[in-house]
Amino acid sequence: MGEIEDKIEDIKIAVLRIEGTNCEDETVRALRNLGVFAEAVHLKQFYSDIIKESEKRNISDYSGIIFPGGFSAGDYVRAGAIFSARVKSVLRKDLEEFIRQGFPVLGICNGFQILVELGALPGFDEDRPLSETPEMVLAINNSNRFECRQSLLKHENRGKCIFTRNLGEQVVRYPVAHAEGKVTFPSSMERVYINRLVQNDQIVFRYVDEEGNYAGYPWNPNGSVYNIAGICNVKGNVFGLMPHPERAFFSWNHLDYPKKGDVFSEVTSEAFGEGKVIFQSMIDYIRDIL
Amino acid sequence: MDVFKRIEAPFLLYQIDVISADDETLQRISDELGLALNVDEMRRIKEYFKSKGRNPYDIELQALGQAWSEHCCYKSSKYYLKQFIFNLERDYVISAIKEDAGVVEFDDKHAYVVAFESHNHPSAIEPYGGAATGIGGILRDVVCMGAQPIALIDPLFFGNLDISHFELPRGTKHPLYLLSGVVAGIRDYGNRVGIPTVSGMVFFDDRYLTNCLVNVGCIGIAKKENIVPSRAGGEGEYFVLAGGLTGRDGIHGVTFASAELKETSEEESRGAVQLGNPIVKEPLMHACLEIVEKKLITGMKDLGGGGLSCAVGEMALAAGYGAKVNLDNVPLKEAEMAPWEIWVSESQERMLVTVKPELVDEVLYVFDKWDVPANVIGETKAEKTLEVYYKGMKIYDMEIEFVTSGPEYCRTYVSKKPEIKEEERLKPPSDYLDVFKRILQHPNVASKDWIIRQYDHQVRASTILRPLQGKINFETHGDAAVIKPTDSMKGLSITADVNPWMTSIDPYWGTAASFDEMIRNLVAVNSVPHSFVDCLNFGNPEKPERMGEFVESVKALGWMASGLNLPCVSGNVSFYNETPYSAVAPTPTLMGIGVIDDVRNAITSFFKKKGNAIILVGETRPEFGGSVYSEVTGQKSFFVPRTSPERLKMYIDCMLNAFKEFKVFSCHDISEGGLVVAIAEMGIGNRLGAEIDLIGIEGDVFVKLFSESNTRWIVEISQSQAQDFVSFLLSRGCKAYELGVVSRSDLSINDRNFNLEIDMKEVEDLWRNGLVRYTGW
Repeated sequence: MGEIEDKIEDIKIAVLRIEGTNCEDETVRALRNLGVFAEAVHLKQFYSDIIKESEKRNISDYSGIIFPGGFSAGDYVRAGAIFSARVKSVLRKDLEEFIRQGFPVLGICNGFQILVELGALPGFDEDRPLSETPEMVLAINNSNRFECRQSLLKHENRGKCIFTRNLGEQVVRYPVAHAEGKVTFPSSMERVYINRLVQNDQIVFRYVDEEGNYAGYPWNPNGSVYNIAGICNVKGNVFGLMPHPERAFFSWNHLDYPKKGDVFSEVTSEAFGEGKVIFQSMIDYIRDIL
Repeated sequence: MDVFKRIEAPFLLYQIDVISADDETLQRISDELGLALNVDEMRRIKEYFKSKGRNPYDIELQALGQAWSEHCCYKSSKYYLKQFIFNLERDYVISAIKEDAGVVEFDDKHAYVVAFESHNHPSAIEPYGGAATGIGGILRDVVCMGAQPIALIDPLFFGNLDISHFELPRGTKHPLYLLSGVVAGIRDYGNRVGIPTVSGMVFFDDRYLTNCLVNVGCIGIAKKENIVPSRAGGEGEYFVLAGGLTGRDGIHGVTFASAELKETSEEESRGAVQLGNPIVKEPLMHACLEIVEKKLITGMKDLGGGGLSCAVGEMALAAGYGAKVNLDNVPLKEAEMAPWEIWVSESQERMLVTVKPELVDEVLYVFDKWDVPANVIGETKAEKTLEVYYKGMKIYDMEIEFVTSGPEYCRTYVSKKPEIKEEERLKPPSDYLDVFKRILQHPNVASKDWIIRQYDHQVRASTILRPLQGKINFETHGDAAVIKPTDSMKGLSITADVNPWMTSIDPYWGTAASFDEMIRNLVAVNSVPHSFVDCLNFGNPEKPERMGEFVESVKALGWMASGLNLPCVSGNVSFYNETPYSAVAPTPTLMGIGVIDDVRNAITSFFKKKGNAIILVGETRPEFGGSVYSEVTGQKSFFVPRTSPERLKMYIDCMLNAFKEFKVFSCHDISEGGLVVAIAEMGIGNRLGAEIDLIGIEGDVFVKLFSESNTRWIVEISQSQAQDFVSFLLSRGCKAYELGVVSRSDLSINDRNFNLEIDMKEVEDLWRNGLVRYTGW
């Protein structure tokens, strides 16, 4: 028991920020609630000369990295494009090595967009964790605008994705809030890529309605192909999703929308909500590899 | 000699001859420089410079124009606000009215900070930019107190959306264009800075056709020990200006906001609208909160109305000092700006902090780390004068007390007496179903989800009750939002309310009714009303009738607030919301804040379970003044629903106690549209219906269904507890009736010789499409 707790304290997770990322506080809070060390780290702390010694950081300081939600650099061009360009210019090699070594990388919402722009997802090639050019895009929602709503996600991963290993084949409720979340592949490759994702067990979450069926808008809030809400890379250690598990971390986050058949959300009996499993699985995995 | 004399300098500078100017010339000076000061005010300036023995530079007159504007010094409203509202003190209020935002105790360690402002004139000219910078400004007001913003609210008011372009008064933009632009502006700014927009309201009426109103409020949370005053800490401290560059955008914003809009405002005043940049604001907020947390600064003030000209003087004077500023160190967007433009520019995302000299390097490091430009632009000094230098020349030297001694007026007013007849009798509708349907799809009643969903109301993961709640993708309107600001279970509830139809008919009772609605919403979610702030939007105060509306409204606020012992902790007055076409309806927008000890006890607004009992709490009377019923049936009514703080207090206490004694499944206040709309909304949120029997209640059916009497709620409770719940209320002097039960899919209402049946699917469609039939989805 003592040994396990020691290990927990060794786990350090960085939530990367630049101007305009804005979900880092709640993401750090979720991780800290599970007993690990987590901090929001500005990208400049990895490379900039002006940073004080005490605030300088290396990727190798951490055993997990999260790209949080937000509007990095304003997202005035394609969402996530600027953050990913900066990462590529200063951290590309380090990040590739980090992924190759099997450390987990999670991207939530804008973080998913960043991982796609980086070429880390869909991540078909294990030897090249960051592809030369992006192989998919998170396009503008079919509704052509930002939308904030709850979504229902069916977990379909068979064990590849290390972030959902503690989750069975079930439906979870996470909020979505984005303008660019429609999973889109090059039209000529769409069938091929979807088949490959299915075969490789890279599909993690798909949008469903309250009966558990793959349904259209608003259940699929953005028009994603194959109702895809989240995917992992071929190795299973890089995971991106548009919905926000950190906004469903505590039971009281679910207070104002009932589960199917629920009369009350039983918030008093259980402290954690349906989003906890993502962070817990990440931590359990790190504990195993450390 | 010419009145305006160009001074020899490497930049544009004029000296203005006020000493030898007669009244007519003084007025001309005010007009030509865009000072918006009247002759009396100009004479005071003339006397001041006569005693100094020199004429002023343009920058000095501009500074006075800013400082003495209605917007900055509240010259028309102060007298009445002091008399009626600012006299209530509660021991948990840490700071009210004096600073940029109110500060109120939240728990032992924390305080919540609240600010509320209008951004009306800019939004009427440039809806997207005006609304966005409104959000930017209100965030600064909260951050400059040392608080982390946690929620935004946005009450909006527009003309009716169905007006044809041919009927629009000249120079007026279509309300649909304004609505879309304003919502997009709030969305793109609020979502980008990562602060949830959790509450608000939208109201349509043609009195807002030529003057839309955009009110924005913000709540923040701070450790008590980190609250930063808006003043310097001592002599010899440095002023550090941080944030965006200073440009020509937003020049004369406050003087523009202190006069009526006219046909040509578009061309003349677009430069008064600032340009917002949320991606400068986001790191600026982080940097400011980091220097607060590290205790590196003595004071902080945001640059809002009047720009540097207001901020520097106020920070120095409030601490009992003077200041010396060098404009060379202000980073500019355009090199050729005249010094007066630099001094009064309202460019966005700027913050002014005072720092002890030994800590200035550390402060500059933090800003640099966040890529936020920051520069030392001056220092405080013992003598209470303000000196400004530019390129080696002294161009400004005045006593700060003179600059900030804006005039205060006790403007004459005429109170409006509503045309009330002793016995007002409205007719029942010829077709109840038709009237009910028209009420449901009236844009003031119908679902606002087209707007609400464009705002991120969940970022920061602390929103417990959202503005939309219920079964996923079938959500209904909530009463108040609930936020959990710290690690403890304690929460804050937030609502924004005003009923402009009621205030138009009767400013006094309409305001009291709006206050009642604010309280009802806070109580409905099971929170204790704790404080409120107001944003008072009125027409031209120089017109006695407009001033009368203002005074009546403020009197009613004072009456309700003191009766309930609810402190007003901050606020804003916006006059001159008037054009030659019309003035706005008296619009005292109220933002109520409540506390809830454990957010897990918050009560939602949608029905939970078939078979549960439905209880009506409160008294229903024939009160239709300003009601949706009178609007859709075209019957005039002048009797605005009454309320009283004593009765309201009794109901608050009783309801909150009942929530402890009984397991309440849902609760919703009764407001626009009356009882039947409240029940419909509760059903929509979980695709349930209701079987209602009104026989036990006295009065006409249409009164029971559509009256908008105050101090009423609908409560859902289990069948087995229903009788005890009713007895509990009755025994404490309140009225309560068991109305019926939650049912599967129809709304069915019965009374003597009366039956109304409608499929809830149809109810939902009408309610959901009431607004989107104009906006498109």
